[in-house]
Amino acid sequence: MGMHTRRDFLRRAALAGGAMALSPFRAGSAQETKKSGLIDMTIARWTGEEASEPEQIKALAERLTEKAINALGGMNRFVSTGDVVWIKPNIGWNRRPEQAADTNPDVVATLIRLCYNAGAKKVKVGDNPCNPAKLAYANSGIEAAAKAMDAEVVVLDANRFREMSIGGERLKQWPVYPEIVESDLVINVPVVKHHNLLKAPFTACMKNYMGVAGGERGKWHADIPPCLCDITAFMKPRLCVLDAVRILTGNGPSGGSLADVKRMDTVAAGTDIVALDALAGELLGLDPKTLPTVREGHERGLGEMNYRKLALDELSVA
Amino acid sequence: MNAKWMQWLRRIVQGAVLLLFLLLFWEAQTSLSEDPKRSLQLFFLLDPLVLIATWLAAHAVPALLLFSLITLGATAILGRVFCGWVCPLGTVHNMASWLRRKAGRATAKLGAWSGWQRAKYYLLAGLIVMAVFGASWIGVFDPFSMLYRSMVTALYPATQYAVEDGATAIYVGDPHVGPLHLKDATEPAYKFLRSHVFLADRTAFLSGSVLFFIFVVAVALNFVRPRFWCRYICPLGALLGLFARRALLRLTNEPHICTNCTRCAAVCPAAAQPQKPGEWLPTECFGCWNCVHVCEAQSVSFGFGSPFRRASAGKLDISKRALLASMAGGIGGMLMFRLTPHAQAKTFNPALIRPPGALKEREFLARCIQCGLCMNVCPTNALQPTFAEAGIEGLWTPRLVPRIGYCEYECNRCGQACPTGAIEPLSLDAKKKTVIGLASFDTTRCLPYAYGQNCIVCEEHCPLPKKAIYTVDTEVTLRDGSTRTIRQPRVDASVCIGCGICENVCPFEDRPAIRVTSANETRHLDNQPILQGLEGFDLGGPQDVYGATDPYGGAADPYK
Repeated sequence: MGMHTRRDFLRRAALAGGAMALSPFRAGSAQETKKSGLIDMTIARWTGEEASEPEQIKALAERLTEKAINALGGMNRFVSTGDVVWIKPNIGWNRRPEQAADTNPDVVATLIRLCYNAGAKKVKVGDNPCNPAKLAYANSGIEAAAKAMDAEVVVLDANRFREMSIGGERLKQWPVYPEIVESDLVINVPVVKHHNLLKAPFTACMKNYMGVAGGERGKWHADIPPCLCDITAFMKPRLCVLDAVRILTGNGPSGGSLADVKRMDTVAAGTDIVALDALAGELLGLDPKTLPTVREGHERGLGEMNYRKLALDELSVA
Repeated sequence: MNAKWMQWLRRIVQGAVLLLFLLLFWEAQTSLSEDPKRSLQLFFLLDPLVLIATWLAAHAVPALLLFSLITLGATAILGRVFCGWVCPLGTVHNMASWLRRKAGRATAKLGAWSGWQRAKYYLLAGLIVMAVFGASWIGVFDPFSMLYRSMVTALYPATQYAVEDGATAIYVGDPHVGPLHLKDATEPAYKFLRSHVFLADRTAFLSGSVLFFIFVVAVALNFVRPRFWCRYICPLGALLGLFARRALLRLTNEPHICTNCTRCAAVCPAAAQPQKPGEWLPTECFGCWNCVHVCEAQSVSFGFGSPFRRASAGKLDISKRALLASMAGGIGGMLMFRLTPHAQAKTFNPALIRPPGALKEREFLARCIQCGLCMNVCPTNALQPTFAEAGIEGLWTPRLVPRIGYCEYECNRCGQACPTGAIEPLSLDAKKKTVIGLASFDTTRCLPYAYGQNCIVCEEHCPLPKKAIYTVDTEVTLRDGSTRTIRQPRVDASVCIGCGICENVCPFEDRPAIRVTSANETRHLDNQPILQGLEGFDLGGPQDVYGATDPYGGAADPYK
């Protein structure tokens, strides 16, 4: 777990104090934070009875999300009163929730509710999809779920991307969506999916940041690990939530066939993006040490590849 | 009823119909997450010219087109009130003519009959003869097609550009006086327009500027003569004129009251000769009531006549010779259309990728009325008007241009929207199995082949559940002699449906390194070069997006 600068340290200390003071889960987290101070990462796994009906899966997704965030110290740890929060799911494809090509809408809806409960002024939801945004937003179920929670569903305006100084190894300048960067908090909430990239056979948190970028993003694929590390460093992730209620195990990232979808009934949350990506790899049956984006993220100090070294809380939710 | 009231009633009806036309247009492109409703076709279903052309050219009568008989029936009783009261293009011309009249003095010359008004009947004759031979060019001149096409390809995109780029220019430039920022006024308005009006992504169309120009000229011609288009060109007007010859609603100008002031002629948009007692032209008159209103002597009036007595009216004097010439012209035009290798089906144009469900080319052309409805409902702007790709015969018919947009896998809107069945209304499942083309790599450009770089953007986007693009890891030697493993993509021709998303997203923005052509299209057996059933390829046949199982097992779908 990296504390690189004095400012980071101060911020964390302030956050910790704030979380202690504000969190309604203070009592519960006393036992949860037994390792040291704040929890870095939580993994909530469903151990209740098997859910098969759509309503059951919806309830399960909501509960897992809530538990994972609460165990992390509650949303108050990240959201202050009056904040504008941008929730960045993966809404890349015009697919249905059960096809697991987009983030689970109920995970997104729960995060919106938690943000408002923590005092957020405005919660916005948006992505830069590969398929037409209107269709992907509607069919992924995210538009309806987010609107039901009173979030603003933003269709990115192709006119409004602005070239920003990324200052990375590979990416120096790139068009990024200002409204996202200007938010007080960006919650990165991807779905775990297979991908056929030679150097990134999966997609999770780091790759989800491609959705804040405009321009000819495709060319990042020629050398994906440094590009993803660059955009991650630029975005300075504070909270990532990994949706593994359903994961896509093949023909990713667009999928389509239910034969490639696997129910994992798991939601993980954390402050360490590399750790969560390592977990995502494991969920897909990959060894994180063989994943170039995870390794490079670790080497560049963006996070800890061996997530078990972190203050980790694994929850059984029923 | 008082003539002034009738005029106002007409204006209200005209405004309401034009508004309805605009609303249906808007709904067609914004209701993306639902299937297009039949009501979007309303105006085309009321168009008897479309009915006749489809019947003659394709020997088919789509049942809903029988609605247009209402228009013919109404015309037989009321005359061309359709032109004067209903037609939205007529209303646009009406407004332009009104401007013209405000700009200059109304003179009887503007309302004087001209023999050139017969031209529209000759045009109609030529188009109908052409249709008999299976070449339907009705849509080029049909007023609804003309207006709808112009709106889709030019007027609406132009409006959207103006609003979006205007607001963005103010946002970026941020002009302000002290603490007063112009953008504080424009941004809320812009946000409102984006979330309530311009819901669809921006579009741009090939030939959009040509179509824009044609529309502007058609409107500007009102300054030469009021309702120029309706008087001289409109074949639907001509058809209705023929049905209006014995209409029961008739104009009378009393010869012993008329003072020959010719004021009625000056305001007649149709040049129907109200000023000449006994020589009124029922084939031209729009029933607009302008003449009745302006007549101070109260000599001019409308009234219903007996169906058994002919009105005392002027003659159109259609020349038999000219009629024969125009019919010969229709045949000549048809032959000219067909004198191309493509029309003779000796070759297929690789760039002519038709929307999924499009009939065989000849049958497709017999039905397509170039209205642009399919282009309006297409969510990716993929459907574009042809210019020369389908020959002159296929002018402004839809084709898919993958560089601009792609056929969205989960969409079948174009076929559902087509008013004439030129594109079959395929179910979504059937559409997913309809092949419209085939992708192929240009290995002299493709990054993993030509430049030793990994890419797979095309593979990533391929929407088929079992992707039509697969990869083979290949060791390539770089310039410095070192080797590198590169993931090279290939197309499985037994799976590819030619949707074009691969070409659309290829990082090469000028000339993509993977391109889709019309090869393998389902509708033409002769255009299918690939023998199916070879070992080593995925030949599972048509793919089911959900695999073998029903995702809901019969339970209610929670997301619909």
